[in-house]
Amino acid sequence: MSAPVLDRTRVPPRGPLRPFNFSTVHRRRLANGLTVLVAEVRKFPVLTVDLLVDAGGVVEPEGEDGVSAMVCALLESGAGGRDAEEIAELVDSLGLSLDAGVSWDTGQVGFTCLRARLEGGFELLADLVRRPTFPAAEVERVREERLSTIQQRRGTPSWVADEAQGRWIFAPDTLFARPLGGMLRTVEGLGRDEVAAFHARRYRAAGATLVAAGDASVDEIVALAERWFGDWEGEGEPVPEPEVRPRLAETTVVLVDLPGAVQSEIRIGHLGIERKAPDYAAVTVMNAILGGTFSSRLNLNLRERLGYTYGVSSSFASRRQPGTFGLAAAVQTEVTAHAVSEMMRDMREIREAPVSAAELDDARNFLAGVFPLGLQTTDGVSGKLTSIATYGLPDDYYDHYRGQLLAVTAADVQDAARRRLWPDRAAVVIAGDAARIRGEMEALELGPVVIADPADFEA
Amino acid sequence: MQIPIERYELDNGLKVVLSEDHTTPVVALNLWFNVGSRNERPGRTGLAHLFEHIMFQGTVHVPDTGHIAHVERAGGSLNASTWLDRTNYYDTVPSDRLELVLWLESDRLGWFVPALTQEKLDNQRDVVKNERRQRVDNQPYGDWDERLQMLLYPPDHPYHHSVIGSMADLDAASVDDVADFFRTYYAPNNGVLTLCGDFDPAEARRLIERWFGPIPRGPAIPPLPGRPLLEPLKIGTEIRETRRGGVPLPRVYLAWRIPVYGTQDYYVADVASELLAGGKSGRLYRKLVRGRRMAQTVAAFVLPVVTGASTLIARGSAPGGEDPALLERALRDEFALLASEGVDPAEVERAVTGLEARHLFDLQKVNERADQISQLTTYFDDPGLINTELDRYRAVTADDVRRFAAEYLTDDNLVVLTYQPDEPAEAAS
Repeated sequence: MSAPVLDRTRVPPRGPLRPFNFSTVHRRRLANGLTVLVAEVRKFPVLTVDLLVDAGGVVEPEGEDGVSAMVCALLESGAGGRDAEEIAELVDSLGLSLDAGVSWDTGQVGFTCLRARLEGGFELLADLVRRPTFPAAEVERVREERLSTIQQRRGTPSWVADEAQGRWIFAPDTLFARPLGGMLRTVEGLGRDEVAAFHARRYRAAGATLVAAGDASVDEIVALAERWFGDWEGEGEPVPEPEVRPRLAETTVVLVDLPGAVQSEIRIGHLGIERKAPDYAAVTVMNAILGGTFSSRLNLNLRERLGYTYGVSSSFASRRQPGTFGLAAAVQTEVTAHAVSEMMRDMREIREAPVSAAELDDARNFLAGVFPLGLQTTDGVSGKLTSIATYGLPDDYYDHYRGQLLAVTAADVQDAARRRLWPDRAAVVIAGDAARIRGEMEALELGPVVIADPADFEA
Repeated sequence: MQIPIERYELDNGLKVVLSEDHTTPVVALNLWFNVGSRNERPGRTGLAHLFEHIMFQGTVHVPDTGHIAHVERAGGSLNASTWLDRTNYYDTVPSDRLELVLWLESDRLGWFVPALTQEKLDNQRDVVKNERRQRVDNQPYGDWDERLQMLLYPPDHPYHHSVIGSMADLDAASVDDVADFFRTYYAPNNGVLTLCGDFDPAEARRLIERWFGPIPRGPAIPPLPGRPLLEPLKIGTEIRETRRGGVPLPRVYLAWRIPVYGTQDYYVADVASELLAGGKSGRLYRKLVRGRRMAQTVAAFVLPVVTGASTLIARGSAPGGEDPALLERALRDEFALLASEGVDPAEVERAVTGLEARHLFDLQKVNERADQISQLTTYFDDPGLINTELDRYRAVTADDVRRFAAEYLTDDNLVVLTYQPDEPAEAAS
């Protein structure tokens, strides 16, 4: 039997396309004001449950930067009738994967578990959220741990660059200029009183959301929520909207000196967009073309053409309020200036001329195609529920998400680039060997060149 | 939860495993080659990994960088990785694009060498050097695995050198070296192809035959260079190294040589590291982080490697200003206690519960399932282990842990690697 001759130069045809639908989002509200969002995902006997409260970085009291993260870290240090050791034993005996952390907008604590352990997980979650005891010795221990983490980051070039970027995007007297998680001087001042007070004010039923995705029915989840959180009380305090103001009026090169560094960590950034921005889909497609994929303009240029870096990318980090936009790359020291000029050129070009039809098509198809890949796991789905809850997106938002991406036009992309990319007022942050790169950076004439001292990071 | 497994082989020797799952309209293709840094000859280290990069640079039919562009525009994700024993290539795409990735992956197996150029080699060599700078040289503690390998394994063992290899060796590599490496190791009879996800098995068989069938079987794979067998398995002495400067806080690594992945003792070792450091109820966290506060973080893990000996590695980072010798002593004492006092069966049970749960959480993703199936088929020719490997863990007893610790976690089988800041870091003031 002879096979037909195969033409290897032609892209094989598509097979039959099967539709993909985001799980139906079910919304309930308990009498105490707790919102419950559920998506049934019935493949593996696995569930993810997360409790969200308005207890992130934006609600930290003045001078207490880092307290929200401390509270989250301390929930499992003692709660209900159990001490830290008993909680740890319970978590591990149940095989829970416990996760607690903060963003600027929220505090979040939750778990992924096997279906058979769901009730045990709920019981524990209710204790952690509602009845933490914050033992003084644990508060002290976690504070020392966080101080060490800050020291550790300040010794890591990529972290130094990230922190400097935030400080040069936002005006120094505004909240978002400072790192989420706090600074040495603020974390040092955090004790049991600050932690307990923050918890009492911000971990409240009204305004909180419980999200669950996995192998259980809506009714089962709602019954568990009633049982373990139904008698949780408390009105939330209003959430302030911190001022968002950029620092720079013109593009400025900021050199953070790391003598002897073999690479320069480059971050070019400025103010970004809020998650509910009407042009979010257009911005997402534009970013994919610029630096959001392997085949993006930036990566093909700096990695594949020039060989300057292991990878370069661009991204928008969105929040309830405008977040950041940034280009990031680590390049060998001797090519720093040329790498920066190429990055700036790619950033300008996407504003100046429309993207090609092929680029547009590729980016839209990429984003629409990879969307379901992240939704194979229960924590992937619960992450989307978390976005709906945190940013106030419509419950059917993800039903239409792929359609929104596919509808973006070349004109939308250019429009988004012109509005959302600011090559003339960007912070060009470089953490590297300043003595070796300063002259070349000045010769680029991008704007003023300043030397930043990591000691300023305590401001 | 039973993962379906259908295994067969093409005439050219390519092993194929199919595992259907129609819950999400995506399919994962995963291709393992039984070649890693262990196969590299002295003077040509880093070639396996450099090679993995060049494999994305086009073939006779697919232009430079076309491979990645095709997959991305299809709405898929892809990557590859190189390790001591193997190299893997993987794509996850919407299920209507299965044939696209079969085309791309078969093309670089069959039509790679004629498209290889000096320019591609030079470009990816630069990328790899930057990968090394970013991950190793410009990263505190970034050389820990390279140092441990060098100290754990003798110079003539294939694990003595790191995966990323020597930059001088990379500079010396020629187009011919790369082509030779390809002809030697990239043959269907040295690979495993796994499909996992939304496809019709009969159709998949037909497409796999269409794209991979015409590729000829390669010559027999040469034996590993050097002396892969370690006899005796234990080191026979304690080896120490201290690295000074370039790190913000002190850190200690302990590493023992242990039996390879696939042996029952390997599973015992995995359970032992889990009960020591898997969760916050683990002994190391409980005693050294929460109790005595002499460590900021602790970890313990085993490497699933199959050549000569694996290793059990423990890591602890100390607070600023602390003498790492104290942390080293405390870590060693905890390992010694496993042998001298044994462990509680409840600790073993907790450890296995954690391993089981995480195993199931991971398997939710078709790409993760496909990767595990390829691994089990490459190393043991037994894809069905994905359903039964947990039994090996469940069989581990407290006595096993004690016996294992007494035999392998001894002072004469230990590498101690310490990182010290330039001067004692001041605690925050």
